[in-house]
Amino acid sequence: MNRAKYFAFLVLSLLPLEPITLAEGVYCAAGDSTNTKSSAQPTTSIGGYGNAFYQRDVDNKTAMMDLERVVLFVGHEFSSRTSFFSELEMEDAKVSGGEDGGEISFEQAYLQIRIDPTHSISAGLFLPRIGILNENHLPTEFNGNERNQVETFIIPSTWRELGIGFYGSLSSVPASYSIALVNGLSSAMFEHGSGIREGRFEGRNASANNLALTGSMRFFLQNTVIGVSGYYGGSVGLSPRQADSLQLESGIFGTPVIVGESHLEYESEGFNLKVLGTTVSIPKASDINRAYANNTPLLEYGAYLEIGCDLFQNIYRVAGQQLIAFLRYETLDMNAEIPSNGILDGTLKQRHIVCGLNYLPMNNVVVKVDVRFAHTGNQNPALILNPSPVAVPYNVDNTFFNLGLGFSF
Amino acid sequence: MERREFLKSTCTLCLLAASGISATALSSCASIPIYETTVHNDTLVVPVNLFSKQTIQIVRGSDLEYDIALERRTDGTYRALLMECTHAHNPLTFTGNGFFCPLHGSRFDENGEVTHGPASMPLAELRTQTEENDVVIMLY
Repeated sequence: MNRAKYFAFLVLSLLPLEPITLAEGVYCAAGDSTNTKSSAQPTTSIGGYGNAFYQRDVDNKTAMMDLERVVLFVGHEFSSRTSFFSELEMEDAKVSGGEDGGEISFEQAYLQIRIDPTHSISAGLFLPRIGILNENHLPTEFNGNERNQVETFIIPSTWRELGIGFYGSLSSVPASYSIALVNGLSSAMFEHGSGIREGRFEGRNASANNLALTGSMRFFLQNTVIGVSGYYGGSVGLSPRQADSLQLESGIFGTPVIVGESHLEYESEGFNLKVLGTTVSIPKASDINRAYANNTPLLEYGAYLEIGCDLFQNIYRVAGQQLIAFLRYETLDMNAEIPSNGILDGTLKQRHIVCGLNYLPMNNVVVKVDVRFAHTGNQNPALILNPSPVAVPYNVDNTFFNLGLGFSF
Repeated sequence: MERREFLKSTCTLCLLAASGISATALSSCASIPIYETTVHNDTLVVPVNLFSKQTIQIVRGSDLEYDIALERRTDGTYRALLMECTHAHNPLTFTGNGFFCPLHGSRFDENGEVTHGPASMPLAELRTQTEENDVVIMLY
């Protein structure tokens, strides 16, 4: 199916089977409906978010601008117990046949069945509860123009897969939990320099020979949220015969990828703190490298600490607006440990310091300005197969200036 | 020490610290009571004596889509907030001093006011009235 047909199919699949009338309760997502009763009429809600930014690579003296993403959220409540949620995303503004760049994809598309007000089952394409950013990634809700590097490359947000999940809250303590069974990753698609990110299927023709289990616990302690989550999944979706020929372990959890993560968020009176740490372990990375030569690491890790303060709440007292000053420190290593057949790449050991301002003239509209100071290890000449005679020396230090806009509704 | 061992021990330490903090904090945190009842004539009836030990009570009505946070205020009146996110109508989680929506991250304070978007409308407040030893929540 070509891209135009695929897009048309996606758009048509979003449309309701019957025309929606006001009598059926169509309202904007921020509406004031109070459907307390199980006999509520079917309702459709619409929302969305997007962001665009300018980035100046100070050291290389280049600059770019991009409408990074625009996402349309459509939800429909069939009954008090059954709902549909979706997010259709367009990245980089344009998709054109035969050209690189741009992407149209569903970020989420799932049915939710509520067992009671605090327990539900989700089935379809959804975002497993791993880390802070994966579920809550609206540009008005995170600091800086760029999503943090740790939750982009170590936890490959936004990480969505097909499967079924159970979500609930405890009644004895203020805590919620989730457990989900989703399709696994494809180690054949892992790419050097991006961790496990390219191994995601994101709902497209996912192999179901290998699966993954993921679970999370989140504790709410007034202004503090403490979360832990884990992921254990197979990364070889081949038939046993094919896997044997590549000397790879197949099966549901064959050639596993293990992700662990914990985080803490604190928010009070305009002050915000986020701390997150995560590791990715691939014990049979050596087998993957032997089969696919993609320089898969044994171990990756990442951590960040971010503090933010709303100056309009704490210093200048401007009602209805926010001016958030923030500072984030990130450290990550996408080849913290490599197998004997791997090649160490110093550039994948990184440190980033990001500082900037988010100005929200009203709720859900943001203007962002920030600077990211990036530092990496040295380039490994063994990884440059055909060195260009005119290549400029690799900079281990680089500075990026970002200016952008974001919205959500 | 090998890097792998260092990472393992650091992660274990972090998890132990996190679980220690959680356990300490949770032990000092009162459990959230849920009072289950049935809907009669579009009303929910909640006994006043439930508030002898706490000021807030989560009320769950049969067949209702959302729980209700019923708070006894210092002046003796009651406030009932519908635990439905005003952004995308997802059920909310009570955090001890407010409400959190896991779907898009909206937060509301104990008065139902938005403290963190994308929600922009406060939580719906339901009418209440006190009748002898009960609080009646009106769903209409």
